[in-house]
Parts: sequence; structure tokens; C-alpha cells
Amino acid sequence: MRWLSPLEPNKRHQGVRTDRLGRVGEWLLETREFREWRGSEDGTEKAVLFCSGNPGVGKTYLR
Amino acid sequence: MIDRLCDRVAEESITVAGLYCDYLSQQEQTTTNIMGAILRQVVGRGGIPNNLREAFQKSKTEFDGRGPLLADLIGMLRTVIASLPRVFICLDALDECLPKYLPELLESLRDIVRESSRTKIFLTGRPHVGEYVQRYFSKAVLMPISSNPDDIRNYVEMRLDRDTEPVAMNKDLRADIVRVILENISDM
Repeated sequence: MRWLSPLEPNKRHQGVRTDRLGRVGEWLLETREFREWRGSEDGTEKAVLFCSGNPGVGKTYLR
Repeated sequence: MIDRLCDRVAEESITVAGLYCDYLSQQEQTTTNIMGAILRQVVGRGGIPNNLREAFQKSKTEFDGRGPLLADLIGMLRTVIASLPRVFICLDALDECLPKYLPELLESLRDIVRESSRTKIFLTGRPHVGEYVQRYFSKAVLMPISSNPDDIRNYVEMRLDRDTEPVAMNKDLRADIVRVILENISDM
């Protein structure tokens, strides 16, 4: 499978999982935008959810 | 977010793939490598599909094992995704991806989504990449993220709890620290 790509995003994810402060960002999962994006199945209409923000606001995580 | 989706993998039969763009890995994080990593995750442990196995075998005999091309990877991803009920692709920090790869990356994602309405894409990045995202996905839902006061409060309190000099701390100072930080983040 390494033939497909040398990148190993699982390693970074494991680091983020370990370091991140629990419960941070849970509010996002409750927003209407998130729920609609996650639940919709109407083609490409709402395929993409883009979270934008300045550095350090916690887009990836807080630790 | 990835973890929250992963928690539901078993019960909702969804597939989650994701990658954190990182300016320290910019050279390595080409569009081809990113899409390859996504394909790797989507395929997961579910056994290697035949077309993928064939492509790999074929490449081994050509030019002493050359890597897959972006177009091949997208084709394979489409095939694999078509057999899955729901797929979530998450890319963090798009602004940390080299600007020269960004259009190609978004185009690749668009190609994949176009074929499958059951594929969802979750992206994060600094505000300036929003323009790019909308160029490829005019209906993208934009979600501005700012510091959430509850998150910050939890965070500051966690750090204060782990303070290595607890003697220097008292209740008032602690309350002041939390208050001042929360006042200041409203400017972020």
C-alpha cells in the first residue's frame, strides 16, 4: 500500500488525538451548518464544509 | 472531528479519510501523494480491490516500479468510493499546502464528489483560502471559526491545574488570569 503514497497521516492524527484537549470544538458538531452538511444527500450541493479562521483559533485543535 | 466521525464508523457504515497539511511537509505533500494517502485510507483493511492490484502489478513491471499518476489515483478512488455507502474526506490546514498544489487538489476533490453524492468533504484553513475553495465548490458551506470562550476557559483551567508552581497561585489570581485571557480573545 505504500506504493500509493509515502505520506502517513495516521501518525499526525494520533499525535493530535493524544495532545488535544477533550471536548474542545464539540460546539461545532451541534451547529446547523455541520448537521446539514453531514446529513445531506442531495448531490454536490452541500458536499463541502470549509471552516475558516485565523491561526491559533483552534481549527485543528487546542492543546 | 475525525475522531467523532470515526466513532460512528461501525454503526453507520461510513468511511473516514483525512490528512493534515503541514508546512513542514510541503514538498512531500503533493496532490498525488495526498490523493494516494486518501485512497490508502479509503481502501483501509477491507481488502485491495482488483483494479488497484492490477495497476500496482502493472507498474512494477514498467520502469522498475514507478509510482501512480494523479489521474490513475482519482480513477481508482472513484471506483472504490462508488462501492461504499458514505465517505468523509477531511483535509486540515489547506493554507499549509503549497499554493501550486492547491488548485489541482481542489479540482481532484471536485472530480470525486461529482461522481458520488454520498461523499462529503471537510476542510479547514485560514480565511484567504476560502476564495479558492469557492472557486471549485461554489456551494461550499463556509463556517467561520473563532475562539470559543468555553473552549478557552476549559483550556486555561486545564493548564492552571497542571501548573508546576502551585504555591504561587491563589484563587484570586487564578480568576484574574481566566478573566483577562477571555477578555483578550474577543479581539482574535
